[in-house]
Amino acid sequence: MHIFSGPRGLQGDKNPIIFIHGTGMDHTVWTLFTRYFLRHGRDVLSVDLPGHGKSKGPLLDSIESLSSNLLDYLDSRNIDKFSIVGHSMGSLIALEAASTQRERVNNLVMIGTALPMVVSEVLLDLAKNNDPRAIDILTFMGYSTNARIGNNKNPGMWMTEGTRRLMQRSGKDVIFKDLLACSNYVDGLEKAKKVSAKTLLILGENDYLTPRHKASDLINNFESVTVKEIKDSGHTLMVENPNLVLDCLSEIL
Amino acid sequence: MKKPQDLKPDTLSLHAGQRPDKEHGARATPIYQTSSFVFENTESAAGIFNVERTGHVYSRITNPTNAVLEERISALEGAIGSIATSSGQAALHLAIATIVNSGQHIVASNCLYGGSHNLLEYTLPRFGIETSFVDFRDLDAVRDAIKGNTRLVFGETLGNPGLDVMDIQQISDLAHDSGIPLLVDSTFTTPHLMKPINYGADLIFHSATKFLSGHGVVIGGLLVDSGNFIWDQNNNFPQLSKPYKGFHDMVFTEEFGPAAFINRARKEGARDFGACMSPHTAFLILQGVETLGLRMDRHVQTTREIVNFLSQHKAVSSVSYPELESHPDHELAKKILPNGCGAVFTFELKGGKKAGQNFIENLNIFSHLANVGDSKSLVIHPSSTTHHRMDEAALKKAGISEGTVRLSVGLEDIEDLKDDLDAGLRSALKTS
Repeated sequence: MHIFSGPRGLQGDKNPIIFIHGTGMDHTVWTLFTRYFLRHGRDVLSVDLPGHGKSKGPLLDSIESLSSNLLDYLDSRNIDKFSIVGHSMGSLIALEAASTQRERVNNLVMIGTALPMVVSEVLLDLAKNNDPRAIDILTFMGYSTNARIGNNKNPGMWMTEGTRRLMQRSGKDVIFKDLLACSNYVDGLEKAKKVSAKTLLILGENDYLTPRHKASDLINNFESVTVKEIKDSGHTLMVENPNLVLDCLSEIL
Repeated sequence: MKKPQDLKPDTLSLHAGQRPDKEHGARATPIYQTSSFVFENTESAAGIFNVERTGHVYSRITNPTNAVLEERISALEGAIGSIATSSGQAALHLAIATIVNSGQHIVASNCLYGGSHNLLEYTLPRFGIETSFVDFRDLDAVRDAIKGNTRLVFGETLGNPGLDVMDIQQISDLAHDSGIPLLVDSTFTTPHLMKPINYGADLIFHSATKFLSGHGVVIGGLLVDSGNFIWDQNNNFPQLSKPYKGFHDMVFTEEFGPAAFINRARKEGARDFGACMSPHTAFLILQGVETLGLRMDRHVQTTREIVNFLSQHKAVSSVSYPELESHPDHELAKKILPNGCGAVFTFELKGGKKAGQNFIENLNIFSHLANVGDSKSLVIHPSSTTHHRMDEAALKKAGISEGTVRLSVGLEDIEDLKDDLDAGLRSALKTS
């Protein structure tokens, strides 16, 4: 498994931060945030899930198996306790880890999330056929309406094309397996009840992929949770409002 | 399922990259004419410097007005990001300097803008970078010219001045087979007529002085990154795939993925070479980009009429424009430039150099100057001006003779332009 931990590598932090990307993405979506925590002396492990980015396959098609695979890796690195941050599909993997490893997870952050995270049959079919329209739909729906006009906080970069390009690097069946994993994660709401970690949800006001209202049941099932809503942001919050997301992360982590 | 529709080019030309500012509601893009930006606090300052927070530091690196232009061109080109530079030449230099080292090599078209040819032929060898100039219509020659130390293939969408149409797909395939990127100068076509990324170009640059502006009042350039090239697929580009001591051992491919090139170009090239665009210039270019589609359509429409007029004139021996069946790239142009081949073209006068001089000196509306892509019509004699440093053999390879005249057709009334040309041509006829 390919992990980005910064130039100096792991330094024995007792509460390292695990970052998990979403569908068709890789660890580069977390660059700004990992750089912050590295500068502040924290250990970070920004993951390329199996078959994504620089990690080899095989592709896993359930949230449970993706979480289990990640935990096996952390065990192999002798990482006991940790905090975990996930975006979209990655948030479900983080939730699964936090519910099955209650004593190990200090903080859980779920960004751009909802449960259940049902994916339409039409989108699944396109992804199953590796039809590029699946990426077009995810890119289009992944941003707020305003973001399609641009005005990127990161100067000179065109947001939607950057996301599209990253997903276009995905290998065969990656998008499909990811979407299938999200759609099939039906126990998530029950899993949330078991979480003991300090939990934060960061949600986009104009998220079309995981709309704000579809996170209500999830929020209600946590024993204790803080919810931050980012105004004028869609599903890809780390691109649309990176500084506000960082402010939220730095408060809890 | 219907594909979701992104905003169309004419909408992007007006809006991409800018929303009304939250403080004052300004609809137009404000000119942030400032060298530097006040930090919110020391922690925020450290964060911006460390690339963990977004924001502006110093206008040599980024500026909010420039950023709107950069986003707008990226949106129009279907690219992930751009950098505004002080000129088109600066954009070309930034592209090369980011990925080509001393001791390495470039394969370039032999039909280039004279300024690009100067840089590659005469200046870059001083820095240890050699270039082989090749006829891009000869794919075998391009393949043969690529060597183990070649790091870039470079050409123009429409070659200067003979309007050789680059078969971008074929040339990019050759470059990619060797694990190197293709850089395309898209100044003559602009994204309104063709998006080189759709045909496999990895990097694009524009002289924004030309059609993007249209008004001829500024000098500026843009370097555009498709985000498609995989920079760590081989060991050709350690600048991007190995730790960079100049930025805390950052590995650009590792931290930015598809955006590795454009980040390196900004964090090194914009920072260290400093060929930045003035925010006021960016504002003026944005005024041009707003009407890009309207202007380019009119440029093409008028050019077609002028080409037809000249083709039938007794003072003219030939006209070179890819929409003419006589042009060697006519079929290719039909395929990749269906909306027109731009507004710059050449023709041959009967009577050679003297006829050319008489022609130019008897024009009133066409301005004799070294530029193209202005809304005002322009004319020049390449062999004595833009390409005067090329020897006879190089001129011949580039399709330039002593009787070659280059026109850049503007937006004036077509009848006035034809009358002006006719007056000049009648003077030329008197020479012969």
